[in-house]
Formats: sequence, structure tokens, C-alpha cells
Amino acid sequence: MDINRRDFLQIAAALGLLGVTGGTNLFAGEAGKERIKKLSFNDIVDFEPKGKVTLLHICDMHAHIKPLYWREPSTLISAKNLVGTPGFICGDSFESYYGVESGTVDQYFDTHNNFPALAKKFGKMGGISHMKPIIDHIKKERGKENVLLLDSGDTWQGTAVALKTKGEAIVDAQNYLGVDVMVGHWEFTYGKERVFELIEKLNGEFISQNVIDNDPFSDEFEELIFPPYTIKEVAGAKIGIIGQSFPFTSTANPKKFTEGWSFALRHESLQEFVNELRNEKKVDAIVVLSHDGFSVDQELAKKVKGVDFILSGHTHDPSPKPIIVNDTVILIAGSHGKYIGRLDIDIKDKKVAGYNFKLMPVASNLIPADKTGDALIAKWYKPFDKELNEVLGTTKGLLYKRDTFYSTFDALIGEAIQDEMKSDIVFTPGYRWGTTLIPGDDILKDNVYEMTAITYPEVYTFELKGDLIAKLMEDIADNVFNENPLLQQGGDMSRLTGASYSIKVAAPSGKRISDFMIGGKPIDLKKTYLVSSWGGNLQNAGENLDEKKIRAVYEVVSDYIRKQKTIDISMKSNVQVLDFDCGCPIKGAKC
Amino acid sequence: MKRRNFMQGLLLSSAVAITTSPTLLSAEEKPKKAGPNDMDYKTAEAAITGGKEIKESDTLKLTVPEIAENGAVVPVKVEVDHPMEENNFVKAIHVLNTKNGNARSADIMLTPLNGKGYFATRIKLGGTQDVVALVELSDGTFLKAAKSVKVTIGGCG
Repeated sequence: MDINRRDFLQIAAALGLLGVTGGTNLFAGEAGKERIKKLSFNDIVDFEPKGKVTLLHICDMHAHIKPLYWREPSTLISAKNLVGTPGFICGDSFESYYGVESGTVDQYFDTHNNFPALAKKFGKMGGISHMKPIIDHIKKERGKENVLLLDSGDTWQGTAVALKTKGEAIVDAQNYLGVDVMVGHWEFTYGKERVFELIEKLNGEFISQNVIDNDPFSDEFEELIFPPYTIKEVAGAKIGIIGQSFPFTSTANPKKFTEGWSFALRHESLQEFVNELRNEKKVDAIVVLSHDGFSVDQELAKKVKGVDFILSGHTHDPSPKPIIVNDTVILIAGSHGKYIGRLDIDIKDKKVAGYNFKLMPVASNLIPADKTGDALIAKWYKPFDKELNEVLGTTKGLLYKRDTFYSTFDALIGEAIQDEMKSDIVFTPGYRWGTTLIPGDDILKDNVYEMTAITYPEVYTFELKGDLIAKLMEDIADNVFNENPLLQQGGDMSRLTGASYSIKVAAPSGKRISDFMIGGKPIDLKKTYLVSSWGGNLQNAGENLDEKKIRAVYEVVSDYIRKQKTIDISMKSNVQVLDFDCGCPIKGAKC
Repeated sequence: MKRRNFMQGLLLSSAVAITTSPTLLSAEEKPKKAGPNDMDYKTAEAAITGGKEIKESDTLKLTVPEIAENGAVVPVKVEVDHPMEENNFVKAIHVLNTKNGNARSADIMLTPLNGKGYFATRIKLGGTQDVVALVELSDGTFLKAAKSVKVTIGGCG
């Protein structure tokens, strides 16, 4: 990669080298000029240390042990009281909120703006071989016993190598990175038994205070499934870490994987554990390691007193600056292994006296790969290399995931399913994980898995009455656009193929969607439609399930790309938003 | 937004809807067949209290999930922080819902021998609505607590 002086200045500024609580200007004077000539890894990890304790934070890696391209959303719409606030900002509104400059590494990592051009300039993101040198560097600087690596979950699922090894390759990667504590969400989709097997293999701890036994006939009824918290002695301080797994696992994912377990936010028991850690265990700082979602954790901080830090996850937001609610500092570190968050804590008189934070972008081209990591990746991929490296076709345009209503890779998946199943309408889930392909890229089988690698990949084709389709869409819309973050579940709208609609986000629950067209005609509420769906619970609402048509989504999509050879998906959404004029509104719902 | 503007907005959007496609509103407005045990919330509450005044009280704690994991078995827990003495005790705990066909989910009669004003069960909820705990004390006082439970087919990952 060629980086000239101007790029470097931008990168330096964008990397936030001055930290949150201030610092010295590393680029002033003659010495600064010298530094500028030698842009390197050191500028990514540069940080003004604080106190003696360091917590490193990762979240939502989705099993991406190799580097990837990952474009942030160009549409992130929510209820009007929420848009423009952290968790609901993107593109230009993100840039103005956090002060991101055009053409910088930060713009590339944090927004969709200029994505294809910046992707060529800066290369791929993340990957364990590039994360490890950052972690090693910090451990060397601070002393490895003074550093903890905390993982907010959604780590074991998301790629072919994860699916085919039932998560084992990823646990190996976590052990290599040195994960000390984690919580979960998609982890649970490997099923209860496998979760326990993988926890056995993990060198770190798996904690959660909000997963309890749900079987009234069991002796463990309402007992905790996992240890609720762990206490770590770091640099002479006692750090209490409480786990929050995803509170809505049992509604967002099939219940069969967690039969007998109950998930919820459980802020009341969280408060009890905070009190227990403070009053009985006499900890010096309390950290909640969370997969609640960024906006839910901002609400949680209003309800629960005495938490120093929440290390959040689930919603995939990068937040270069901490969000402070009451006395709680909330941090989140993006997704797909793109960032490592470094939090230094100064503990004095048994409490938090100060901190410093930085989100370090894992810009793989600026960080020489660690050989052990590369060997680990090669070892786990080897049995599957032939299958996964198959070139299925090429893409003319940008293939991406994310956005509230529509994204091109989802449109491709829907198109493939509709082509094979001959259905009137296809529902594709609004997950926030996946991959991005740059115009002109080959589409590998591995890329298709990056969008679809789940333990319940079946595409179902069944019948649904028009009125039920309308009702389901309203129900999904209420989960995404509810003005109370606690009633959202942190995802995006299900994507539709074969249909289009208009939506008024601020309309009351049940009245948001209008102008609903299926196959170019207005929806007939009395008509029965042939529907295909995957990755959700929709088939349970349908009738006359066609069992002969059931097939794994990654095979359906791969076949279609092989057949088409060149993929050309329009960037134009099939959803018209009536009450917003842009995809990334600022606070006050203005564009 | 003022209420009037808001209503106009609603009219406008439904006008758009009629010319092209109906919204869920029209689907929901279809009259439901009444069951033999149907009773709406107001009637049920009046039947229990006989029209007596109902107090909100800190001593009554209702625990329900914000979002039901399964609408068919929603866990409900009612705890009353009140003595259970011979002449001063929790006499009854009623669990109600506001939108099922039958608003009465459970009626539990207690005596001081129960030792505690406590009842936990699971109820079926046909859709997003409030769950209400209505408690009668031995002196004839009624206490009430209500919380909303969202029932959804589920969505994101």
C-alpha cells in the first residue's frame, strides 16, 4: 500500500492518537515530522496510558479469523427519538457526531462513505493474525498480568470454518488471542451440549447473569446456567465482571437450541449482583460484559446503579468515544474483528479515578501478520479449502450486508431463492453480520457462507395468507422501530424479494406499512401466497410446508451464482421510507 | 407533534393506503367471534372489586418479562409484602390480562396459613398487552400493579 504524507496526516488524525482524555501532540515540531515519514503499526497502537489496569475489548467477530472487507450501513433508521444518537448514526451523521474526516482510515472503518475507493487504498480489515500483534504489544507495554481480553460474544458463528467445525476453530482462535472472559448469543445456536463442550475447550470463562433454568419440574428451576460473574485481580485491583448474554436469544433464534433456558435482560438481578460485588466482595471496579446491544445498554445504565463500565456488543456499532449515562461509561467495539478497544483504568482508594479509551482499527495492511495466527487459520481451513475457494462467479457492483431495509447481498440471496423455489415472496433475515465484496470481485463459496453460515440453514417454502403477511411485517417493524430500545431486538427489517412497500417509521405499532405490493400488484389480504424464508421462525406461521423443497440456503445461493456467472444487483431499495429523506439522519430526525 | 396534526397525518397515510393496499389496521378490525367465557378487562375488574377503590402500592411486586419468550407460557410472579396474620393478611391474588378474550387468568384465595402473599404461574397471552395483578387484603383494600408484555413471533439475529 502506498501511503503518502497527506494520507498519513489524515490517518494520524483519524486514529484519534490523542486519546479521549487528552494527551500530547505527537506530530508537533521536528520530531513529529520524523514520525510522519515512518507511519507504521506504532501509530495504531499509540496510546496515553492511564493507571495500571488495561481491559481489551472485542465484540461480534462472527468467526472472521481471516481479514475481510466490511462496509458500515448507509441506512440506519429507527424511531424519531433515537435516530442521530449513538447506536443509530451512520455515514454523514456518524462523521459529524464523532468528527471523522473524509478520506481517512476512520472514514473507511466507521462509515460507508467512499467505501470501494477506500477499500482499494487501505485493504482488508481484521483477522486474528493482525489482531494478535496489537494485543501482544499492549501486553508487553503494560505487563501481561495487567491486561484482560474481554469478548462480548457473537464470536463462534458466521463463517464456513466455524460452522463446519461446530465452533471449535473459533475457540482455538480465541485461545490464541487470549480471551479471558466472554458472553454469548449466536454461540447458543450450536445447542446446549455443544456450548458446554466448547466452554470446556475455551481457556477463558463464559459468564452470564441473565440465563436461567426455565423448567419448573427441574431441581434447578430458576437457577443460573452459567457463573453470573467473575472477579479478576489485576495490578493489585479487584475487577468484578458481570456477564449479560443476549436477552432475546429465545425469540430471535430457534427455541430448540436453548430448550429449558430462559433469557431476559434481568436488570433487577443485575443490580443485586452489582451490590453483592460492591458490598460483599469489595471489588474496586465493576464491568458489565454485555451482548444487550448498544442502545439497550444505554437504557440499562439508567436502571442499574453502580456499574463503572459496560463493554457492549450485538448491534455492531463502532463508537470511537465512550457514551456516558449517569455514572456509567459505555463502550462498544464495532464488529467482524475490525477493532480492538483499549480501556485503561486508574484505580485509587478502591474506586475508578480515571480512564482512557481508544478504538484501534485492525487495518491489516499496517500490521504485519503474526505467523502463528496464519498457521492456525491454514490448519483449520485446510480440509475445506477446495470447497471454499471455488469461484462461483463475479459481481459487477458492490455486494454488502447491513442497512435497515435493503442490501445488495441480501437481494442476491432472495433472488436465488425465488429463482429456485418459484415463490411469490421471499423473506431473508435482517441479521447484521456477513461480508462485503468490492465491484469486480470474484464471489467465492466462502463468501456465500459468510452471509449464511448458520446451524439452521434450511430454506422453507410454504403458504401464507395475505393478511398474515401484513401482520407479520408490522410485527417485525415494531421490533425494529419501537421507540423503547428495550422492546427492540437490535436487528434490521427482514428483507423481501418479490415485494415492495412504503413505511412510516413513526406511525403507531401495526400501522406503519402501506402500499404493499407483491409481484407488482397490491397485496390481496384474502389471497394465499407461496412464501420462502430462512433463518427465522416464519415457517411456523405458514401452512402446507413443501418438504421436498427444503434445502440449505448456501447451496441454493451458490447454485444460482454458478448459473448466472456475473451478478449485477441494483443498489436501489424496494422499500420507500415516507418519513425520512435520507438513510443517516442526524438528531431530531433531520437530514 | 400536536394531536391534530398527528390525526391528519394518520388520515393522509390511510388515504394513500386505500388507493393502493390496505394496512394491517383493516386486517385487525375484523370482528372476532365471542367465546362463552369472554369477559373484557373492565368487567372483570369490576366483578372482583365490586367497584371499590384500587390503590397503587409499593408493597405489591409484579414480575413479567418485557418480551415474552413464548406467548403460550408467559411467567408471572406476584409478591405482596404484607403480614399474614389472623386478622391482617393477603386474602386474594388475581392475575388478569387486558386483551385476551377472557381477561381473567387466575384467581387465588389465600389464608394466613399460606404464610406469604406469593403466587407464580404461567399464562397464555394472545398478543402484546398488559398483565395486571389485583390483590385483595383482608380489610377489603385492593392493590393493583400492571406491566406490559410484548408478544412477538421474533425477528433479528
